[in-house]
Amino acid sequence: MNGLPLLRHRWLLYELTRRELSNRYAGSVSGFAWTFVQPIAQLAIFAFVFSQIFRAGVPANYTGITYTAFVAVALWPWIMFSEGVQRGMAAIAGNAGLIRKVALPTQLLVYSTVIACYAINLAGFVVVLLALYATGENIHLAGLPFALLLLVPYLLFATGIGLVLAALQTFLKDVEHGVGIVLNMVFYATPILYPLTFVPEAWRRGLALNPLAYFSERLREVLLVHPALAAGDAVAAAGCLAVFLAGLWMFKRLSPYFEDFL
Amino acid sequence: MSQPLVSLAGITKDYPKVATGGERLRTLFSLMLRSAELPHFRALENIDLEVHRGESVALVGENGAGKSTLLKIIAGVARPTAGTVAVRGRVSALLELGSGFHPDYTGRENIYLSSAVMGLSHRETRSKVASIIEFADIGAHIDEPIKHYSSGMGVRLGFAVATSLAPDLLITDEVLAVGDESFQKKCIQWLERYLDGGGTLLLCSHSMFHVQTLCSKALWIHHGRARLFGESFDVTREYLTYHEEKRREERRAESIPAPASGGNMPRIVSTWIERADGERAETFAQGDELVLHGIAYEPDDRSPVLLFGVVRADGTAVYGSPSNERGFIPTPIGERRFSFAIRFAAIALLPGKYTMRVHALDPEGLRLFDTVETEFVVTGQTRDFGLVRLEHQWIAGRPGAP
Repeated sequence: MNGLPLLRHRWLLYELTRRELSNRYAGSVSGFAWTFVQPIAQLAIFAFVFSQIFRAGVPANYTGITYTAFVAVALWPWIMFSEGVQRGMAAIAGNAGLIRKVALPTQLLVYSTVIACYAINLAGFVVVLLALYATGENIHLAGLPFALLLLVPYLLFATGIGLVLAALQTFLKDVEHGVGIVLNMVFYATPILYPLTFVPEAWRRGLALNPLAYFSERLREVLLVHPALAAGDAVAAAGCLAVFLAGLWMFKRLSPYFEDFL
Repeated sequence: MSQPLVSLAGITKDYPKVATGGERLRTLFSLMLRSAELPHFRALENIDLEVHRGESVALVGENGAGKSTLLKIIAGVARPTAGTVAVRGRVSALLELGSGFHPDYTGRENIYLSSAVMGLSHRETRSKVASIIEFADIGAHIDEPIKHYSSGMGVRLGFAVATSLAPDLLITDEVLAVGDESFQKKCIQWLERYLDGGGTLLLCSHSMFHVQTLCSKALWIHHGRARLFGESFDVTREYLTYHEEKRREERRAESIPAPASGGNMPRIVSTWIERADGERAETFAQGDELVLHGIAYEPDDRSPVLLFGVVRADGTAVYGSPSNERGFIPTPIGERRFSFAIRFAAIALLPGKYTMRVHALDPEGLRLFDTVETEFVVTGQTRDFGLVRLEHQWIAGRPGAP
């Protein structure tokens, strides 16, 4: 039963993820296109409101970058995270029929959902980056491999949070309502629409503790300024791994009882 | 002695009571802190069971007795509150209807998913898909979402998938009850082949016929406890007897008022079935003596003609005969009433459910006035088929016609 469950169940994870991907857009006409439409609409709104109305600018160290590109680089990772957490949270309750009748490691349902969210939005992210590059934005395509590398611990982080929320959600239906509000707050507490340097000194230290802030800033650096890894990345990765393992521990503690509550 | 494929020891399962938010919150904290006391109800209590390779075991019991919960625990879907479960080998489980398919995905996608649960790769599954679809035999529906399937179609697909993997242990929960006649036959043939080939089966069924034909052993679960474990024929007999007694008590509780005597047509006032020793009974072993007793009413106080017939549960007539054929005259017992009895020295009927019909005719035996039915069950351990056992012998043959 123990050993390497992930290795033993790799085909199940593959099948679940494939299913998740192919069915996200089943029944819609334009299918995959929806992956872009929603974030692009969001980006357009932010770009208009903040660059045209609030006249927000880009710090001087980002050369050859418009506000739109500045936001886009941080917005897609945020969407990966928030969507991954929200869908991952619903993965257990949403597969109640399966869990009640089939013995399977239920954490795979959360993994596959989060992975599918990341994969879909990653594809959108790459396309948007290439499009921005084509329009003359100073995006360092050499930073793309580093960005992908940074997204791995970021994925672990989202999965860890998703596991905790999915487990709690099974017992308490209130969780999903709270999570929506918290995610909205975290969005504005993360340097996405603004750079961390714009945050008043008194708040900056606190904000920097937000793991999402770290990844948001680092992804911008790698893609817009200097394509290279930093020492802090290893620390962040270790932190994300810890969050993931803690989430998995809690999930496994509660998962034997899911069947009783679904 | 080989190691058992399944061994359960002291299995107890409590389900938490989670009707209110407060109870849910309390339960969540207790689970996190591993403390014991929770509001719960007990679904299973102290069940022991061993199933060895090649055995076929049935779980019988009333609705809500805990059969499905026990199967879930063996299949690994539910975790027991106390006790140990050890299951070896590859297990295929068909729990309840629909058997764990995702309603939004097509039948084909669900085949891949179910196979992946068993550890098969996409490519390995691809080689099996054709035979699974052929066995399920649901035509073009295979590419439609499962939610549009009838329950029978869902079970067909579920059975086809579960059996395609040649499991060491097959667990099925009341699935045979859903498919149509021809699919049931196909399933039973498959199961018989599977058992002949050394497969192990754990079945839960309300059909004592299926239990007797497929399983060598049976466990009767009553209100969450093991009530009887043994040869399937013994257990099913006890179980059926229990039900008959329960039904009789219910009937007694209803206390049907005895029909008033009177009227101007011949009637059957009452009938009942007895064993050779005079005990009333509804279940008989094949070859037992069965005596049908009855009281008839005739308005002119002349002996009526009676007619009995034996009908199988599905309505097939087996045998019938009128009383005047043998010159029998019912015995007058006063008040225009007549008693009669029909003795069957050794019932040759094959195991199953039958109805004994008794009709009252006028004294001339020309017009039929009344019909009274009494049900009875014949049990037995036999591979014969048909309606009745015809007395026969297998004897040495000759090389050719004389």
